[in-house]
Amino acid sequence: MIPQSIKWRLQLWYGLILVAVLVGFGVTAYQLERGRQMRRLDDELRHRIGILGVAMHRPPPGMEAGAPPFDPPRLDEPPDREPPFQDDHHFLDNRHLPASHLPPETARLFDATDTDGFFFRIESTFDHQEIAHSTNAPAFAAAAMRSIVRPPETQLPPGPHPLKPQIIGQNYFTIDVWPSGEAILVGCSLAPELAELRKTALNLTAIGGLILLVGLAGGWWLVGRALRPISEISSTAAKISAGDLSQRINAAETESELGQLAAVLNSTFARLDTAFAQQKQFAADAAHELRTPVSVILAQTQNALTRDRDAAAYRQTVEACQRAAQRMRRLIESLLELARFDAGQEVLQRRTLDLAQTAADCLEMVQPLATERRVKLLSQLQPVSVTGDAGRLAQVVTNLLTNAIQFNRPEGEVHLRLASQAGLAVLEISDTGHGIAPADLPHVFERFYRADTSRTGAGNSGLGLAICQAIVQAHGGTIEVSSVEKNGAKFIVRLPLAT
Amino acid sequence: MRILIVEDEPDLLASLTQALREEGYAVDTAANGDDGFFSAEGTDYDAIVLDVMLPGLDGWEILRRLRKTKSTPVLMLTARDQTRDRVKGLDTGADDYLVKPFDLEELFARLRAIIRRGVNKTTNVIEIGDLRVDTATRIVSLGNQPVELTAREYSLVEFLALHRGAVVTRTQLYEHLFDENESSLSNLLDVHVSNVRKKLGADLIVTRRGHGYCIE
Repeated sequence: MIPQSIKWRLQLWYGLILVAVLVGFGVTAYQLERGRQMRRLDDELRHRIGILGVAMHRPPPGMEAGAPPFDPPRLDEPPDREPPFQDDHHFLDNRHLPASHLPPETARLFDATDTDGFFFRIESTFDHQEIAHSTNAPAFAAAAMRSIVRPPETQLPPGPHPLKPQIIGQNYFTIDVWPSGEAILVGCSLAPELAELRKTALNLTAIGGLILLVGLAGGWWLVGRALRPISEISSTAAKISAGDLSQRINAAETESELGQLAAVLNSTFARLDTAFAQQKQFAADAAHELRTPVSVILAQTQNALTRDRDAAAYRQTVEACQRAAQRMRRLIESLLELARFDAGQEVLQRRTLDLAQTAADCLEMVQPLATERRVKLLSQLQPVSVTGDAGRLAQVVTNLLTNAIQFNRPEGEVHLRLASQAGLAVLEISDTGHGIAPADLPHVFERFYRADTSRTGAGNSGLGLAICQAIVQAHGGTIEVSSVEKNGAKFIVRLPLAT
Repeated sequence: MRILIVEDEPDLLASLTQALREEGYAVDTAANGDDGFFSAEGTDYDAIVLDVMLPGLDGWEILRRLRKTKSTPVLMLTARDQTRDRVKGLDTGADDYLVKPFDLEELFARLRAIIRRGVNKTTNVIEIGDLRVDTATRIVSLGNQPVELTAREYSLVEFLALHRGAVVTRTQLYEHLFDENESSLSNLLDVHVSNVRKKLGADLIVTRRGHGYCIE
């Protein structure tokens, strides 16, 4: 079974590619070497054919025109003397071999092998059958002749026609046919070349194997080295998935791709960590917020049930329970609303509306509360049209106005201004209350954050501003707060104008 | 036994006050941290039930300041149930810790326990000769016969029994048996002492002229 790890797969692919490259290289080198050897042999064979051809058609020295034709040795008969051409050196190099006008009826055929290992046959009558069946030629020469004899009717063009050298068995030869009826076959045994090529092949294989081994070992090392950060990443990721979100990958090589990956993963982990912490905090806060109303219900009911009580006492208990239940309902509704915004499931109606009209409606709505708290509402509204959900935007304005009234001083003022500035609808709500401490300012939009613990109470879930922010952001706007302590707080909502 | 409850949720405060009064405690209340600290420091309560999240001074701060001068047993009441919150509470000097929401029975039991520990008692039952005071069931029996006592009479017996051997002044008794809203008529205590003597025997409570009362 092939291990499934990336390291093994990389190594396998790398090994396969390396083998393919080495094989290709080896085969090419072998072929080149073989071709070189063959061309050398070709040249040699042609050279010898040329020499023989020239020698046969040229009178030997001292036997120029008018001289009696050379009497070649009758090779089909036992020569009565050493044939001069067996002295290869003499025959080939001195060029005085008498092989010029070989009369068909006299010098029909002779074979020889020189000391260089070249054999040759000269056939003066171009009778294929005869050549092929001559018995005293070396077996390989006869076989060669047989294998290349042309059909008798073949019309040979004039001039020498060396055939493409051929291999038969371990022999390599070429034949030159003259129109005059001579055929010269020159060949040699390929054994030394083949042996040399075999040696070359062995060498190539050995070197290739060595390179492969070194390459595989190097590849293994490189792959291991390249993958080490990955295993670090995965071990860190494993620790993180085991619940330790504070772990980070050591991203020392930030320039490399893996370093970038580590950096990206680290920032993802950091975000996850924050998100988890927020989620945990949110759940803890939500549970915490529910504990108080539940403890009211428990204490009220358990106390009521300790003995028989009159109707008024039971009524009080039931009313307290109702208040607690309503508080829980408000809390749950707020939580669900926030959860929907978080999940992007809150469906906002998008209509063009006059924010001034919405703000005026809100002012009217909170007027009774302002009267009760003896707070004066002042407004300065310019018509500004924005695109959005009128109900949701009214919720934001009402919430901010209610806060401004509730956290105001008696006889205080709440200012509501609406204008369009720099392509944005700007809504400002400021109060004349105690303001918000600088330490609390960055947190006022956080869920369950209460700038002042005295703001706890049945009506204050600590989610109002978080919901306002979610609504404003869902409209593509921003909400911010500024405050001078003891001098009131100012909330500014900016929304894009309707296009 | 006089107890202070510091809790800002009105409905919870009301039901706790009523329940503890019905248990026979004298109960004072405070709805915010500043009032709570003022009361806690000014009076010798037998125990304080202290909410953590309060307007004004929060529970931790009240506890920290209170511990500089007083060792009144404090039961912290909180909505946080994480270990570090409990540890913080106990380390700051709280005697016990109760997480909302809680059962009233548990609150009563824990209150009894911290009050008991405040006077170095380990059980709910105090035995003095034939007399047996069970602070959990609030039953006083004399020679295995339960004796019918009013809540105030029981409180008087319990307080003296818990401080057995010590002379308890009239001021102390007023402070521990009556809450801040009750008019402390000077002879009211004498009436209760006299009633207890009728029911449990004349020699149980000894009067130390000019000092106070004592169970020996």
